[in-house]
Formats: sequence, structure tokens, C-alpha cells
Amino acid sequence: MKVTVCIGSSCHLKGSRQVVERLKELIAQHQLEDRVELSASFCMGNCQKDVCVTVNDNVFSIVPEDVDAFFQTEVIEKLA
Amino acid sequence: MSELRADIGIQSMIKYGEELCGDHVDLQEQEDGSALVVLADGLGSGVKANILSTLTAKIISTMMAAGLSMEECVKTIADTLPVDSARGVAYSTFTIIRLLQNRQAELFEYDNPYMILLRDGKNYPLERSEMTVSGKTIVRSKVTLQENDLFIAMSDGCTHAGIGLDKKFGWERDDIIAYLESLYDPSFSAKTWATILLEECSNLYKFKPGDDTTICAIRMQRQETLNVMFGPPAVHDDSERMVSQFLASAGKHVVCGGTTSQLVADYLHKELRPSLHYADPDIPPIAYLDGIDLVTEGVITVNRVLEYARDFLEDNQSYVKWGYKDDGASQICRMMLEEATDVNFFIGRAINPAHQNPNLPINFSIKMQLIIELTACLKKMGKRVQVTYF
Repeated sequence: MKVTVCIGSSCHLKGSRQVVERLKELIAQHQLEDRVELSASFCMGNCQKDVCVTVNDNVFSIVPEDVDAFFQTEVIEKLA
Repeated sequence: MSELRADIGIQSMIKYGEELCGDHVDLQEQEDGSALVVLADGLGSGVKANILSTLTAKIISTMMAAGLSMEECVKTIADTLPVDSARGVAYSTFTIIRLLQNRQAELFEYDNPYMILLRDGKNYPLERSEMTVSGKTIVRSKVTLQENDLFIAMSDGCTHAGIGLDKKFGWERDDIIAYLESLYDPSFSAKTWATILLEECSNLYKFKPGDDTTICAIRMQRQETLNVMFGPPAVHDDSERMVSQFLASAGKHVVCGGTTSQLVADYLHKELRPSLHYADPDIPPIAYLDGIDLVTEGVITVNRVLEYARDFLEDNQSYVKWGYKDDGASQICRMMLEEATDVNFFIGRAINPAHQNPNLPINFSIKMQLIIELTACLKKMGKRVQVTYF
């Protein structure tokens, strides 16, 4: 599974770093390093919303506070 | 072989308790690439010394730039300077360095500590000869310039640092040379050298300088061009023209901005690989792209570069951050402020609709303003700057 976080200017200002760091922690906690590939992307063209994250080809827009819930529904449950 | 350029950095501190500096450095650059630097140290301190040194430096640099001889300059100074009522003399010491088309340096020294030349990081003693002009003994020397030659001119506030404190005889010239040799790094800018030496003087004085102290460092650099592309063009069809001009320009290449770097990646048919590593929590990570020396995010990174560039022109305190850190802004600073003698900006004027959000501090006019201010800073540093808009 490929999870990509936008680190472009707009997303950065809306909290990309917090999202990236929390995702890194969660992946480590659940020992999913082999199954989830976390990467970054510059602008994905969704600047008007919250931080842009894609899981495989599905686009999401999340705020840093929602990372845990997002990880549960979009990563853990999808992998199960 | 590309030509040499002089990178000149000056730092001064004022005698404790005074408000004006009695040292003055005057800089004149001529069209043929010759430069003239005069460091004058006026007798005493405060207002009088300030007037004496300013007059001395200005008179010498104006006259020499006009092609008049050393003899005429010194005679004029002797005849013009106001005589000190307490001491009965008109007096300002000086060091003159003339960089002839950046191939040869000619030095004239009068009563300042002898200038230091480090060649490839080692002390290079100059052959000095004396000449008498209007009863004053002036020491003269000449040297053919090489890449990485580092000249250090100073006022005696530097060699007197620490007298009566930790140093019996002050910071002696040989000790200063040993200090420079021990720290030598060819990538340090002239400003950084001046800052390092001035800080050491300040430490030796226990932060209460007993005299005005001035350092002027001159580093001979080979011409090095940095090309910076920032922003997509206003008209999308201009992308190819913009990218091809940018890539065709000789030198190093930096791309700033997410959309912008994608344009370059598409042109090169290479994959853009953004990193997830936050070397600085406030600066977005850099990206990798084959064929490009550095790829960074846009406005936030460039804004930080501007902050560092402004500080570089002031007291240069942020050097301790950008001098070694790996975030995009620090890396740009090392390439732009330390290495480059020439900077070419390729600026795209596309308006990113997402950035026009009033809640974000990154709108279009800010981006244009960043470039205007950064350009002004780089010019003040003596770099040649070209800006092309698309």
C-alpha cells in the first residue's frame, strides 16, 4: 500500500509535517513498514482543502488531528 | 579558465562607550573589474576619529580610482586632514588594497597591522618594500592573485584585543594567522571570515572593546554561476521556453516550488522524488531530480533564504544555522551566499490560486516581493544578479 503526503507550500502550512510524523509513528507502532510505503509529493493540485494525502490512488484531505482515525479506517482496516 | 572575483566582507565594532566608529572602510569597484578597498583608522575614537578615518578613506579611494598616484593621495591627506588640537597632528592610519582586474593585488600600508594573506589556507608572506611620501613611510607590496587567496586587513583594535586581560601583548598578528590557518575552509565567505575574527576579538575584549575594531576580508573566488528557477510561467505555453533557457544557462541549477519542479521534471522526463526528511521543522523537505542540483519548495523556503540573506548583510549571526544544516533554505544559502559570484533568477509569474487564500501568508505579491528584496541583498553583497520574468 502506498501512502503519499503532499508537502507543497499550502499543505505544509496546514500541517504536512505533523501528518508525516504521526504517520511514521503509527506505521512503526503497527509494524507495517513492510506493507505501507510512505512517501512525499509536491503539489497534487488540491491546495484549497486540508492536507492532501493519497492512499494508492484515492485522494483524501485531512487535518493533523484526524491522522489516527484516518490511519485506522484507510490503512489498518483496508489492509486487514 | 573563468576569471576571479573578489568577495569582500567587512565587520566593525565600536569602542566600548562610544557611539561612532573611528574606523572606516571605503569600497570602490570599477567597470573593468578592478576594485579598491581602503581601511582607515582615525586617531583616537569617537567623532574625531570617525571624521578623520572617513575623510582619509574617501579621499584616497576617490583619488586612486581617478588614476592619481599614491604620492599625490598621501600628500593631499596630509594637507587636508584637520589637526587634532590635543596632539597637534592630523593622523589616520590606512591600508589600501587595489585589485587590478582581479589578477594582481597592490597593497599600500601605513601604520595599520600588516595585512595577512592566506594562500591555500597557509600564511603567504608578502615581499614588502618601503617608500617615503611626504615624510611618511608607506609599505608597498604586490602579488599575483590566485583562486582562494584570502586577504585580511584590520585596524589595530584587532591586534590589541585582550591587552591587560588574557593577553599580555594583545592578539598578536602571528596568533591571528595561526587562528585563521586552524579554521581555514575555502568555502567560508569573506563576510564569515570577518565575523569569525571580530567575534574572537570581542571575546578577547570580554565584550567591552578597548578600541574600534574592524576587519575587512577579501576572498578571491572563481566565477561561479547559480541559476534559480522559481514559479511556473504566467502563460502555460511558455513552460518549455522557460525551462530550456534555465537549463541552458551554465552553472548550478536550483528549482524552487512544487509545480515548478514538476515542470522541470516533465521536461527532463525524469521522476521527481520528494523527501520525507524535515531537517528544519518549519521548512518543507527538499526533493531529488536527476540533472538538477537542488529542488525545494517555493515561497516558505525562499522567504527563509531572504531572512538569512538580510542577516548576512548585518551581523551574520544566522550563519551558524545555514552554514551546515540540510534543509532547503540552508542549502540554497550555501550555494547562493557562499559559492556563487553570479546569480540568475528565472521567475515565473503564474498565480497559484491556492496561494491567494487570505489565511495563508504566501500570496502572489509576496512572492514577487521576495525576489525584489533578495535581488537587492545579493547586489549589496557584490554579486552580479540577473532576473528574467516569464
